[in-house]
Amino acid sequence: MKSPFCSLSFSLSFGIQDDHRLSASELETKYGTSISEGLSSAKAAQVLARDGPNALTPPKATPEIVKFLKQMIGGFSILLWIGAVFSWISFGIQLAQGTVSFIDQLYLGVVLALVVILTGIFAYYQEAKSTNIMASFSKMIPQQALVIRDGEKKELPADQLVVGDIVEIKGGDRIPADIRLIFAQGCKVDNSSLTGESEPQSRSCDFTHENPLETKNIAFYSTTCVEGTATGIVINTGDRTIIGRIASLTSGVGNEKTPIAIEIEHFVYLVAGVAISIGVLFFIISVSMRYKILDSIIFLIGIIVANVPEGLLATVTVSLSLTAKRMAKKNCLVKNLEAVETLGSTSVICSDKTGTLTQNRMTVAHLWFDNQIYSADTSEDQTTQPFDQSSPSWTALSKIVTLCNRAEFRPGQENLPIMKRVVVGDASETALLKFAEVILGDVMNIRAQNKKVAEIPFNSTNKFQLSIHKTDDPNDERFLLVMKGAPERILERCSTIMINGKEEPLDSEKAEAFQTAYMELGGMGERVLGFCHLYLPENEFPDTYSFDTDSMNFPTSNLCFVGLLSMIDPPRSTVPDAVSKCRSAGIKVIMVTGDHPITAKAIAKSVGIISATSETVEDIAKRLNIPVEQVNWREATAAVVNGMELKDMSSQQLDEILCNHSEIVFARTSPQQKLIIVEGCQRQGAVVAVTGDGVNDSPALKKADIGIAMGIAGSDAAKNAADMVLLDDNFASIVTGVEEGRLIFDNLKKTIAYTLTKNIAELCPFLIYIIASIPLPIGTITILFIDLGTDIIPSVALAYEKAESDIMNRRPRNKRKDRLVNEQLAIYSYLQIGIMQSVGAFVTYFTVYAEQGFLPSTLLGVRVNWENNAINDFEDSYGQEWTKYQRTYLQWTGYTAFFVSITIQQVADLIIRKTRRNSIFQQGNKVIWVGIFSQIGIALILTYGLGHVTALNFTPLRFQYWFVAVPFAILIWVYDEVRKLFIRRYPGNHLHPIFLSKENITNFPISSLLLQAGGTRTCIIKTHPHHCLLPPYGDLLPLLTKPLLLECPVCAISSMGSPHDGVKEFHDYEKK
Amino acid sequence: MARDKEKRSCGQVWAEWKAFVWDPRTRQLLGRTASSWGLILLFYLVFYGFLAGLFALTMWVMLQSVDPHVPKYQDRLLTPGMMIRPYAEGLDVTFNVSQRHTWMPYVHALHQFLEPYNDSLQAARNAACTPGRYHEQPDDGVPNVPKRACRFNRSSLGPCAGLGPPHSETYGYGTGQPCVLVKINRVINYFPGANKSINVVCAAKDEEDAALLGPLHLFPPNGSIDLMYFPYYGKRVHVNYTQPVVAVQFANATAGVQHHVECRLRALGMRGEGAEPQRDRFAGRVEFRLRLHRE
Repeated sequence: MKSPFCSLSFSLSFGIQDDHRLSASELETKYGTSISEGLSSAKAAQVLARDGPNALTPPKATPEIVKFLKQMIGGFSILLWIGAVFSWISFGIQLAQGTVSFIDQLYLGVVLALVVILTGIFAYYQEAKSTNIMASFSKMIPQQALVIRDGEKKELPADQLVVGDIVEIKGGDRIPADIRLIFAQGCKVDNSSLTGESEPQSRSCDFTHENPLETKNIAFYSTTCVEGTATGIVINTGDRTIIGRIASLTSGVGNEKTPIAIEIEHFVYLVAGVAISIGVLFFIISVSMRYKILDSIIFLIGIIVANVPEGLLATVTVSLSLTAKRMAKKNCLVKNLEAVETLGSTSVICSDKTGTLTQNRMTVAHLWFDNQIYSADTSEDQTTQPFDQSSPSWTALSKIVTLCNRAEFRPGQENLPIMKRVVVGDASETALLKFAEVILGDVMNIRAQNKKVAEIPFNSTNKFQLSIHKTDDPNDERFLLVMKGAPERILERCSTIMINGKEEPLDSEKAEAFQTAYMELGGMGERVLGFCHLYLPENEFPDTYSFDTDSMNFPTSNLCFVGLLSMIDPPRSTVPDAVSKCRSAGIKVIMVTGDHPITAKAIAKSVGIISATSETVEDIAKRLNIPVEQVNWREATAAVVNGMELKDMSSQQLDEILCNHSEIVFARTSPQQKLIIVEGCQRQGAVVAVTGDGVNDSPALKKADIGIAMGIAGSDAAKNAADMVLLDDNFASIVTGVEEGRLIFDNLKKTIAYTLTKNIAELCPFLIYIIASIPLPIGTITILFIDLGTDIIPSVALAYEKAESDIMNRRPRNKRKDRLVNEQLAIYSYLQIGIMQSVGAFVTYFTVYAEQGFLPSTLLGVRVNWENNAINDFEDSYGQEWTKYQRTYLQWTGYTAFFVSITIQQVADLIIRKTRRNSIFQQGNKVIWVGIFSQIGIALILTYGLGHVTALNFTPLRFQYWFVAVPFAILIWVYDEVRKLFIRRYPGNHLHPIFLSKENITNFPISSLLLQAGGTRTCIIKTHPHHCLLPPYGDLLPLLTKPLLLECPVCAISSMGSPHDGVKEFHDYEKK
Repeated sequence: MARDKEKRSCGQVWAEWKAFVWDPRTRQLLGRTASSWGLILLFYLVFYGFLAGLFALTMWVMLQSVDPHVPKYQDRLLTPGMMIRPYAEGLDVTFNVSQRHTWMPYVHALHQFLEPYNDSLQAARNAACTPGRYHEQPDDGVPNVPKRACRFNRSSLGPCAGLGPPHSETYGYGTGQPCVLVKINRVINYFPGANKSINVVCAAKDEEDAALLGPLHLFPPNGSIDLMYFPYYGKRVHVNYTQPVVAVQFANATAGVQHHVECRLRALGMRGEGAEPQRDRFAGRVEFRLRLHRE
């Protein structure tokens, strides 16, 4: 997958022509424009007509009708369509034979089709709603551009720009198109959205590099001008801009199916498989039992309808959108509903540094004066600084910080907290300004009192900034020269150093102390600045002295060194906690940044991505004092990988790094490398979440299992490519998202278990009807009323279930092993609870018939006569005779009774599905009551309210029949409580395959897992070829019995004994 | 996942399948050892055994609560249905007078149906009750005392009694004057007519058909049914109960035409007009089709 980028850089270079090499006049000729007059309006209109507006074409959306049709044929819809078509066919046959006595078949077909269409419309609507949220979000304020046309300056909407237009740009503007600069003054652009480089880059009119991407005289569309002004000729617009080309590249990266989509597909296949095989089996049985083919087809429809949980997919959609809403409240805006769960199964997060882990603003972190390092408060909302400010050295230092600074607050922000005010100036100066404002108060006033008389701004050759001020001390007529800059350069110019307010000569010992402090601060990844000053002697520099910054008619050496200040973009205060949560949740956090490795490592350490105790290879080498090459890389848990190293790595080498280090930082990476890292992680079988904000991140965002774009700092392209948008740009929000995602997976599992159970109780009647020839216990329409009526609200209610165990303490699910619907769940639902429900419902059925005169023995084998329309003197067990209609009505009463029994037992099912391990007494959820009451309420309405509508096949049921199944409902509940008790008491027992779902095992918190295997834990993980990224514990059990583990080179698994013992051990531990 | 699939060759997949079905190394069948399968089998044996027992127990308890003589509810049988004899494959009586085999099944059916109505049998088994009133037989403290049935003599059906010589008796089918018997469904403790006499009337369903259908003769006369045949006490106690019937003879039905005939029970208190009896085409009435050919 490297290829897109090879071709990218190729095509980009090719596409930019060679405008950067041409002179201004050549450009004028090429584009038929004039630098002073601009294009004529007529010409501009002509070009606009040719090239189209200067806007990125939005990615091609799937046509609405296709989306709609997809909903119509997706999932179970096909099965139901088959059912409907069969109904119509059988109706057609009856019609042809002229034997139509009931239009039941036609009617059933229509109902089935309606069900499909309605659920399809519902799913479509849900999806459209969530898409709309996103669409409204991505709407932008139209951008304006200052253009010279017909010799006049005009404000035009940026999308009206055409090639050849002359545009003017000033600090703060977004570049409206790809522009070749022809005039620039102190112009700097922030290319981070394109290249990820966070440092603003200067722009000039000079051709500095062959590569158009590197040369200084081209500014790119969608980047921002940070300061200065510039004028340029538009050379590319719209999709032909660099950004436009990257955006179109993004659409080339295929969208992977979300894990939940895979799970649901798996589930649909499973249920459809069961439905079709039982259907076909009984079709064959009924044909061989000499039923008519027509009847057999009708049975087949009944079996399919009974097997398909019609309402489930709608329920899943609702549950997901409920969670999406909940997540939006927690600042995670989900674009694609299914992404809700993806976040929960995430096992690796590749996170940006700037803005996501950090606050995205330089802040003073440390100070050094009086030979001592002081730390400053770097939190988001500082109002005071706690360090010792009594020393006169600090007074001097603070004065330099205040005066030698060109940054200013924008006016009119007095009421805002200092940290939130907008500053004009670069990042370091802003940091210093805010720092000074917090400690000293009104900085602007101090500056006014110390009038500036001369100034040399910072430049890269001097590496210092200098200004000369009158002082605010009326008795002191001396000028004060203040200077800041690169510490070593500042020190060179100093002969004294201020200690406790006294100037002392700068001897080698003090210089050594400076060096130590400088190294220490630099080693923390901080940007260090040195500060010095000099009071100019009054006699030499009288009040009227005229300072000339060009000839430097003032001393710039033998100054007095005052101190150091170091700055860093500090981590967000919520991040360390979030990272440790990720860690306990088994999620690996990888930092990917364009920053310097030292800075990256420092931030990684401070947020816990690299834990305090772990070491990189370099750290070990340093500690043991041996060359890096001699260090056994297995001993290093952390790694800081430089982008340059990454460039030369094969994918195997990358795999090795990803595999062997649990704490990884990628520094100095180009955005393209992010994609390579994501692919590397996916090769390990990980579900990867990637955060990004720049346009250049969008291929990685798209490639990731879940792309997370930043809502504040993110570009539109990134938001477009992402599945999720973090509204507050905060890493901690991802962790809450993960929690919600895991919860919804657990809850969907419960919903599915709940829904699948009654399928058996709906299916058994058909099977027994076919085999024993009894009157049909429950009709197809009635089944639909359970699936789409009484069961819907309880299923949704399960989505409100709270987390059972601390879900953030277990490993992310393994997408290959921890299925949404696994064998155990299906077997427990189908073969145990489902059968119990069937028994309960049949007891009710037989009771209803017996009390009306048909004892069970009379019912066997009566189907043919019972259903014969001509037989109107059908004899019951008492000798009474029944007409067909009287029998049919009794049959409907049977349907209703069966329906009511299933409903009553589904209440028990709902209660048992609430929890997976805990007793019902241990866990409450008020929404579940809504589910129970709605279920019973709807059943009451159907039986008594609609009992007289013949078409619905409900009859007003005698009240006592509601209670026949109650003992069975209680039995279900007690049985399940016993099962849960068993699981809690004897985890890992070998009886588990029978009635324990596998996921119960994975519930064990990871801390206890570690305890079990002691120090050898990581070894197990590494030896498994596919899952070196720490498999969930569910994987471990089968692994432990296989010889594969014994081959593990380092650890002694063989001494561990049986895996079950292990499980028991740490379950005990857990209890303690 | 797609990547994994590509990597595995067909042979490997087959080998994996084989290993899954029977793994000789671990001695596992379908992923489980014999003891594991045994345990599962045992579990389900016990589990389903328990459920079957429970089902049997609850059914037994339920049946204990059911009275074997009178059903608990009869709300579905408020209006008794009516039915015809002979009954063959539906409610059509279609035959060709000149082709014996087309009507012989009807004759056999009627013979069979009327067997218990033989006067001799009736005299032997059943009591001669007082006509014109219900023959009530209260239990008088002893529950479910066997009840006596009232005589319904076959001879009262006149020409439709089928009492001619066994080989030439055709219930009119051989002469093109077929007999159809109309009976009222048995319903336990049903008292029709509110102590007033009841009778069955038959007519062509459509007015224009009436002339084609020709005259109908009812036996017993007027199609009347005596109240003494009610109430019915159920097959356990009312062993030899003989259902009253009315015979309809079509004296001169036009051949080659399908006649729709409707017979109704005329009795006071019949719920003839409610929604439900309208839905039930056989409550208190019976419809059938008659078609005869003569060539």
